[in-house]
Amino acid sequence: MELCLETGYTSLNHVGEELCGDHVESCVDGDYTTLVLADGLGSGVKASILSTLTSKILCTMVSNDIDIVECVSTIIETLPVCKVRGVAYSTFSVVHVNRQGEGYLFEFDNPEAIYYHHGEAMDFDREAIEVCGRTVFKSKLNLEEGDIVLVMSDGTVHAGIGMILNFGWPREKIKEYLNNHLTADHSARAAACVLASACNEIYEGMPSDDTTVAAVRIRRRLDVNVMVGPPVNKEQDEAHVARYLEGPGKKVVCGGTSSQILARHMGERLKTSLEFPDREIPPIGYIKGIDLVTEGVITLRRLLELSRKYISISDLTPKTYTQRDGASLLADILFEQSTHVHFFVGQSVNEAHQGLDIDITMKLKLVESIAANLRIMGKEVTLLYV
Amino acid sequence: MIIKVCVGSSCHLKGSYDVVESLKGLLKKYEVEDAIELQACFCVGNCAKGVSVLAEEFGDKHPQETPAATPIEDGLLLHQVTAENAEAIFVEHVLPLLK
Repeated sequence: MELCLETGYTSLNHVGEELCGDHVESCVDGDYTTLVLADGLGSGVKASILSTLTSKILCTMVSNDIDIVECVSTIIETLPVCKVRGVAYSTFSVVHVNRQGEGYLFEFDNPEAIYYHHGEAMDFDREAIEVCGRTVFKSKLNLEEGDIVLVMSDGTVHAGIGMILNFGWPREKIKEYLNNHLTADHSARAAACVLASACNEIYEGMPSDDTTVAAVRIRRRLDVNVMVGPPVNKEQDEAHVARYLEGPGKKVVCGGTSSQILARHMGERLKTSLEFPDREIPPIGYIKGIDLVTEGVITLRRLLELSRKYISISDLTPKTYTQRDGASLLADILFEQSTHVHFFVGQSVNEAHQGLDIDITMKLKLVESIAANLRIMGKEVTLLYV
Repeated sequence: MIIKVCVGSSCHLKGSYDVVESLKGLLKKYEVEDAIELQACFCVGNCAKGVSVLAEEFGDKHPQETPAATPIEDGLLLHQVTAENAEAIFVEHVLPLLK
């Protein structure tokens, strides 16, 4: 069984600030994923520069397997000293883990990371180490399928201070909240958003501190095959459909004509729903053996809008989809469930669509933009044109 | 009888949703909910004359070709149906097929 790592984060800016003083940096190098969340002292430009430098330096060094002691001393020696505070670094959390779930977590002055394991928010077993006179905590990671590591800046535990919660949002309460609101199906992105949104509510939408939550999740690989549009040459239909059907994972087809070709080649009936859960999006269809059948361009256009919201780090709408229209169902499969997406794009021109804003150029452009956004989400995407 | 409303991209833009809603109302108004089943379908290849509505399974009737309707192999294809003209087309072309 192949496991994959996914990462995601959400940031709230200190009210009135354009820049976030927290910074998240992540990179994938072979089997290893490294994620760093740094919180620069103060807020605004200075904080942003400190945290950006810290996270970039740490991410590069750690992903190249350089010893943490060396990484931390580099940070302390490199960063400019703040005149006001006389200190020179930002706080940080570093996750470095491979696809087997093995790795480590280093924390310096950020709130303690939360380990979401078997449906329960827990603590890591931390070991204190001294580096250049500072205490850094090290935890060994041995993650299992479905586990999430949540790291955060102190804006989370300070949420509500002086407003609705006198002493902020205690860690134990945060864990309780996660136990009630996270499920095994939440992606890293969705999990981070759940916690950050809750903080935003406690801040009543006006965070008095930069607040960032980042998550690393280990999960099973899921391929999703998406057929969009019929091939230019009708004689290629059969080969195109066969290639689409042969790969593992879930099957999705977008487009009325494509669905009809697919159903015919599979010897199945294509049924179309009469329900309009969203009146702007055409109803979905059903083909036995296919996970989702939707209309083409209009649905894809909505999907692109949804993908923009999904990758926005400050967007707080839930990243899980409960609506039943074609675009939301598609978003759930592609954004939340998949790790690998394969598009099978037919470039046949529907004459009746030319001149309308649903023509072939529009469709190809949409697929390209959606593919680009899926890559930003961390999905591996392939495109096959016929 | 089965009535299928095309909900393909083109017809959808031309107002399939409103046509579906009108037809639902008409089935009630003319008390033919038991005789006619309303369904949706994807592109019927008649995009230029959408919204397309397809009447099927109405026995051995042989409707005539008119500007608003074309008999096809397994039914009658109604052209350019809108929420506004749905009732007129329904009365002129669909109801006679039930008798």
